[in-house]
Amino acid sequence: MKFGVFYELSVPRPWTRESERDVYMNALEQVRLADELGFDQVWCVEHHFLEEYSHSSAPELFLTACAMQTKNIRVGHGIVVCVPQFNHPIRIAERAAVLDILSGGRLEVGTGRSATWTELAGFQANPDDTKKTWDEIVRVLPKMWMQERFSYQGEAFSMPSRAILPKPYQKPHPPMWVAVTSPGTELDAADRGLGSLGLTFGGIAEQEHKIAEYRRRIKSCDPVGAFVNEQVNTVNFLYCHDDAETGIKTGQRLAGTFSYLAAQLLAAREAYPTRSYPSQGLLPQLRQESQSPGDGGRVPEGICIGDPHRIAEVVRGWESVGVDRINFLLNAGETVPQAQVLDSLRLFAKEVMPQFQNAPAAAVVG
Amino acid sequence: MVLIGNRDITALLDRAPLLDNFDTEAWELSGVELLHLRYEIDDSNREALLPRALHPTIPATVIFTAARYPDSPVGPFMLAQVRVGCRSAALPRGFLLRAYSDSPAAADALARRWGYACDVGDVKIARYHDRIVATVAKDGAEILRAALVDPEPISGGDVQYVANMNLARQKDGDPVLLQVDPEYRFHRAERGRCELAVFDRAAWSAEGVDPVYPIVASFTQCDTGFPAIRFVLDPNKTALEGTRKIR
Repeated sequence: MKFGVFYELSVPRPWTRESERDVYMNALEQVRLADELGFDQVWCVEHHFLEEYSHSSAPELFLTACAMQTKNIRVGHGIVVCVPQFNHPIRIAERAAVLDILSGGRLEVGTGRSATWTELAGFQANPDDTKKTWDEIVRVLPKMWMQERFSYQGEAFSMPSRAILPKPYQKPHPPMWVAVTSPGTELDAADRGLGSLGLTFGGIAEQEHKIAEYRRRIKSCDPVGAFVNEQVNTVNFLYCHDDAETGIKTGQRLAGTFSYLAAQLLAAREAYPTRSYPSQGLLPQLRQESQSPGDGGRVPEGICIGDPHRIAEVVRGWESVGVDRINFLLNAGETVPQAQVLDSLRLFAKEVMPQFQNAPAAAVVG
Repeated sequence: MVLIGNRDITALLDRAPLLDNFDTEAWELSGVELLHLRYEIDDSNREALLPRALHPTIPATVIFTAARYPDSPVGPFMLAQVRVGCRSAALPRGFLLRAYSDSPAAADALARRWGYACDVGDVKIARYHDRIVATVAKDGAEILRAALVDPEPISGGDVQYVANMNLARQKDGDPVLLQVDPEYRFHRAERGRCELAVFDRAAWSAEGVDPVYPIVASFTQCDTGFPAIRFVLDPNKTALEGTRKIR
């Protein structure tokens, strides 16, 4: 089991001149500590226009800063929105390659297609087309990275022969993933030999079947890249405290804030009936259980909050169903003070992480 | 923190229906035809469109619906509504600004039992080769003309309609928001472009609602209805503070 940290970079109102900078600086401090503590990866999403929920519209820049301030932690550029109106595929390939070079070959590339009307309409992207363009782009990215010169005639885009430069530092190319929220996307990942980057919170039993199907299906895949990246990555909340009640209470506040911020956005499926979005995506996951406006506050099973003992048990649950990596969302709307976030990371690294590592535990700093 | 409604509901309350009680029995209605259009609206006043209990969506939206109910306990009726898309805590909802029905009996029942601010008007849905058009007229003047253009079949499973939040008065004078959350069983669904030709904001208590960007229109045939009231909210408190379970 490997552990990582995961960033949406949410910025609560009121927005001041310093508030966005504070969020970014706090995140960078967390990443530096995570690197020192032995966390394996840092992921940062790409979102646009998602007020308060995510001010992370240029994750490759944030991740470059992460890479330049750390030594070992891998940088997860994901998900990159593989919709041409958001990102031309050439620019995805170029930016990823630069990030891989600057990080010394520590890049992981997560792919996806956005799940909100808020974003899709902002870029004038047709929700019906995003799955198709994602599929097209994930198939060309490895070729752009591996071929000295690349030409292409497709539906989402075409180009004459050009040298797409620079090339990634990792050879043949960085590991590739796909965000899995909609039912069946885990099979899309498996068919293409891509890692499964689960973006659903909680629900160990629900994920077990999906993971098993992914593992079964990927055995006979036709990989889009030069190698098969058979790994299951999932996202979770983390708040670890010596006192279980404090840990759960604070963690519930963190999870509740995240859910509340996410819920204000307009999901693609809610706004625009299309078979392209069979589920609500990540955003309203946590509200599915509630039937009334006052039903908030419940935390689904499988969430890593509480004391180290409880969290270790939850991680074992995920491990038992085949999860290889867990990435933790450490804060939402800065609801947890920075000092407490850092303490939570340290305690997790000291008490929980060693239980899941064969190698000696990382030195605990601070 | 998140955007929250700050509308002074005094003016709306003057026209809000007087509710009998919260013990309404459900109406289950089949063979309903429902035209639904959603637009993004000018978001400069998004908080001012909603009471404190509700949050604007990002982006802010308005929802136009017109429905034909071929049968009900008060006979067949048409119903048109204008709602502001919103959230009640984390849940998707539509805050009703005003409704019109062609049936005085239906308008009265919907008002007293489910809190619909519903006047009597001439509501029609007409199907043409290339469009489905809803018109609403009041006192002979057209106050809404909205259409789905170039319909294409889709799966009913892809359609999602949001529940109503209806502002009403209780007998003790206190305001209340009723959550009216029917279920839908779709038999047929189509999707197309939105076209809004007439929208008399004053007639819909929709001052400040300025549709600026069409999202999509859908037309469905479904079984649905008006359910028993399950939850009510104090419009002047946040949903987390002011929600009450009825059943």
